[in-house]
Amino acid sequence: MRSIAVLVFPGTNSEEETLRLLRDCGGDAELVHWSRAKMLGGFDAYVLPGGFAYEDRIRAGAVAAHDEAMDAVVAAAHSGKLVLGICNGAQILLEAGLVPGTGEGRGPTAAFTNNAPVPHFVCRHVYLRLAVAPDRCAITASLPAAALIPAYAAHGEGRLAASNEHLDEIVRGDHIAFVYANAAGETAESASPNGSALGCAGLVNVEGNVLAIMPHPERDGWNFNHLDRCEGDDVLAPSGGAALFRSFVAAVNA
Amino acid sequence: MTRRTVAISLKIPDNAAFTALTALRRIGLELGDVDRREIWQLEDAGAPETLIARVSANPAMFNPNKHRIVALEHQQPQAGETWVSQAGQHDEVREHLGGTGIDGILRATRAVGWRLRDRHGDPVERATLVAAVESLLCNSAVELARYEGDPPA
Repeated sequence: MRSIAVLVFPGTNSEEETLRLLRDCGGDAELVHWSRAKMLGGFDAYVLPGGFAYEDRIRAGAVAAHDEAMDAVVAAAHSGKLVLGICNGAQILLEAGLVPGTGEGRGPTAAFTNNAPVPHFVCRHVYLRLAVAPDRCAITASLPAAALIPAYAAHGEGRLAASNEHLDEIVRGDHIAFVYANAAGETAESASPNGSALGCAGLVNVEGNVLAIMPHPERDGWNFNHLDRCEGDDVLAPSGGAALFRSFVAAVNA
Repeated sequence: MTRRTVAISLKIPDNAAFTALTALRRIGLELGDVDRREIWQLEDAGAPETLIARVSANPAMFNPNKHRIVALEHQQPQAGETWVSQAGQHDEVREHLGGTGIDGILRATRAVGWRLRDRHGDPVERATLVAAVESLLCNSAVELARYEGDPPA
C-alpha cells in the first residue's frame, strides 16, 4: 500500500480528522510536521489539511507556500504524485502556483480571497458538484459523473478571484473541478457560501494530479457527523464526504 | 475634504513582520529587517489637528496598549517601501469598521505598508523591493502594490 503524508504546518487545525478519514477509507496515512520536511520526498501522495498555516500572516497560504516542506510537495506534484489540499491547504496550493498551475514559477495566478458580498467568516453546510469528467482529475476518477459531495465550508477567504482573462483561461483549461450546488445538485447563487467566481469550489491543475477544494468533506464523512445521519451500519456515511477520500485513496493505490 | 494618511504600527513585537523577513530570506533576498504597518488613507472633512485623536478613538482601528499612530506628511510610499491594498474600490469604514465610524471621515482605504531594509539599515534597492512584492508580499490577482513615485491611488 502506498503512503500518504498529511502535512501539518504551524496553525493547521484539521489534521486529525483528515488523517482519520483517510485511514477509515483504507489509506496508509500519517501526520508529517513541517519540521520533518526532509522526509516528505519518501511519500507517494500528500494531503494539506485545513487551518491557518502560519496564522495566515501576509495572506492565507502565502508563507506556507514558500516553506521548505512545500519544496517537497511542489517537486512531488511536478513528478506526477497526487496532492489534495482542503481549505487552507487549497489556499497554500494556489499560493504555491500548483493550481490552476498555468503560471510560471512558484507564484499565484489567482486567489482564494475574501468572501463576498460580506467579507466575513462563513461556516455552513454545502455541496460540491463534480464539474469535470471524473477522469480529468486522478483524485476524482472513481467518482460518478456530476458526483455530489457534502461538506462544510468554514472560511473567510474562499472566493476564487482572478482577472477576467485568467478566468477564461481557467474555464478553457477545464480547471473548475467542483462547483457549489444545492442538495439537488443544481447550481444556484444561494448554494455558494462566498461569491466565488464561476461558482468554483475546487480547482484542478493542468496535469490532473493536484486538486484544491475549499470546503471540508471530512467534516461530513462519518455517520456521526453526516447531515442526513445514520445511513446504514457502516461508520462512514455512504453519501457523505468520504466518497472523495475513497476516490483519492483508490487513485493513490492504483 | 482632504486626503490624509495615518500609519498604525505595533509597539509590541510584530510576529507577522518577522515571519515575512524569514520567508523572504528563504526565498533568497538579502534583508536586514522588515517592518509592517497599517496605512490608512482617509477622506477627511475634520480639522487636521484633531485627526489622530479622532482615529485613536476608534477601538476597531487603534488599541493604545499595542499600537502607535502617526500622521504621515507624504501620501505615497517612500524608498524601500510598498503599500499593498486590495484591488478595486473599497471603503473600509463601511466594510471593515462597520458601524464604528470616525468623526469627519467620509471614506477610508487601508493598505499594508512594508518597509524593507538591507543589512546596513538602509532602504532596499527598488529591484529587491519588487522581488519581495512579486514573490510574497502581494498577490497581483487581487492586490495592488504601490511604490515610491507612483501616482496617488
